[in-house]
Amino acid sequence: MKRNKYLCLIALMAMFSINGFAQCGDELVDDCASDIGSATYLKDFKIQLQKAEKNQPVPVHRVSVVLNAGTTYKFSVCNAPEYEGAAIIQLYDSNRLLGSSLNLQTGKLMKEFMMQCSKTGVYYMFVSFQDGKEGCAAAILSYVDNSK
Amino acid sequence: MIKRLIYILLVIPLLASCGGNSEDQSADIPDSVKNGASSNLVEVSQEVIDDLVQNVSSPIEMAALIKKEGVPFSKNYLSDPDYVDNYNTSFAKAINLGIYGADLGYMNMYDKTGLILSHITAIKKITEDLKIGQFFDFATLKRLSSNNENLDSLMYISTSSFNRMDSYLRENKRSNMSTLMVTGVWIEGLYLATQVAIKSSNDEIKKRIGLQKISLNDLLIVLKVYKSDKNFAELISDFEQIKADFDSIKISVEKGDPTTKEVDGVLMIIQNDIQHVDMPKGQLEKIITTIEKVRNKIIGKQR
Repeated sequence: MKRNKYLCLIALMAMFSINGFAQCGDELVDDCASDIGSATYLKDFKIQLQKAEKNQPVPVHRVSVVLNAGTTYKFSVCNAPEYEGAAIIQLYDSNRLLGSSLNLQTGKLMKEFMMQCSKTGVYYMFVSFQDGKEGCAAAILSYVDNSK
Repeated sequence: MIKRLIYILLVIPLLASCGGNSEDQSADIPDSVKNGASSNLVEVSQEVIDDLVQNVSSPIEMAALIKKEGVPFSKNYLSDPDYVDNYNTSFAKAINLGIYGADLGYMNMYDKTGLILSHITAIKKITEDLKIGQFFDFATLKRLSSNNENLDSLMYISTSSFNRMDSYLRENKRSNMSTLMVTGVWIEGLYLATQVAIKSSNDEIKKRIGLQKISLNDLLIVLKVYKSDKNFAELISDFEQIKADFDSIKISVEKGDPTTKEVDGVLMIIQNDIQHVDMPKGQLEKIITTIEKVRNKIIGKQR
């Protein structure tokens, strides 16, 4: 009986560790990248953030990317299902907010948005989770071929 | 007995992750960097290095522009995969891995699947030598290219493999290797664009070449972190020549407010800045010559 209990514990631990990596790692990126339509994958970013502490700012993950003038980009985000948090992407050009996956007027969270870039340079993506919940997400940067 | 088994199961992954490939990692970190021998090293934080390395465009983008402008594919632009046996140091392997990676992106963009086998074979060899072969799915790439099937998957697996190798190298304190790989990607992308520019007077390609001044400055900052290594010092010296050619290019921006519209139900942000690139007459020719010289030196191409 005791022996069975230990075996169950081992099996549970193994399942937990395999799922943990699969759901919040490369598998999430692969799933997300398969859902970008006719766009061409360029880069991915894995974001995992803790729940916000009480009376503290919402944790934010920042990444920088170079975007090229004359190119249309798509920003897509997918949330790991085992976490409550829903990711919000904000795109900045130095200190100016260009756009966000959260529509502040409607409160609607979008899974993707596009940007028609007219200035080559460094841009910053800030990713946080709505209401400071704990979350894990994959963000995909892809290239949109307008001629397709 | 069972308790002991649980203990072993818990301890093995910990040891595996902590022990890592310390031997492999030390193999390609220059002694000067490893020992922190010089006080002028690692003045740039890891976070800044990560940012700067990320700030080099994907090899796909230059190839996409070349294709978009209607320029036909040419296999004469590619680095010869047979050169792979000449790359005997980690330095040469890492930078040429980037060069082959950019070529792979160029071939994928034009759906030249029949040509990629020799390139992915060369890439496989380098990635195994650099102990990052686990990120390069050679078998799947070979199958997809041989059957000329699922070209989107071929493109995705190729590009994401390189991104994963780059992340792994940086996360495992092998940023010098990651920097070299990204440098190889950058110079090969620029080499492809400049070779195209010899034959076509396309303004978009000329402008994109001029705008590489931005990434070049970032790359030089990162390369200089490793300047006490003699191979890096030589590469920096070559890149300083490239920089000298780019110095006279003036980039200016007229600011405009972004607007939005909906395209097929998806929000589209339209940036309304206008960017000007002023390249003095004759400068493009100088850039073409220098890039060809430096790139051919890296790949070991004999004249």
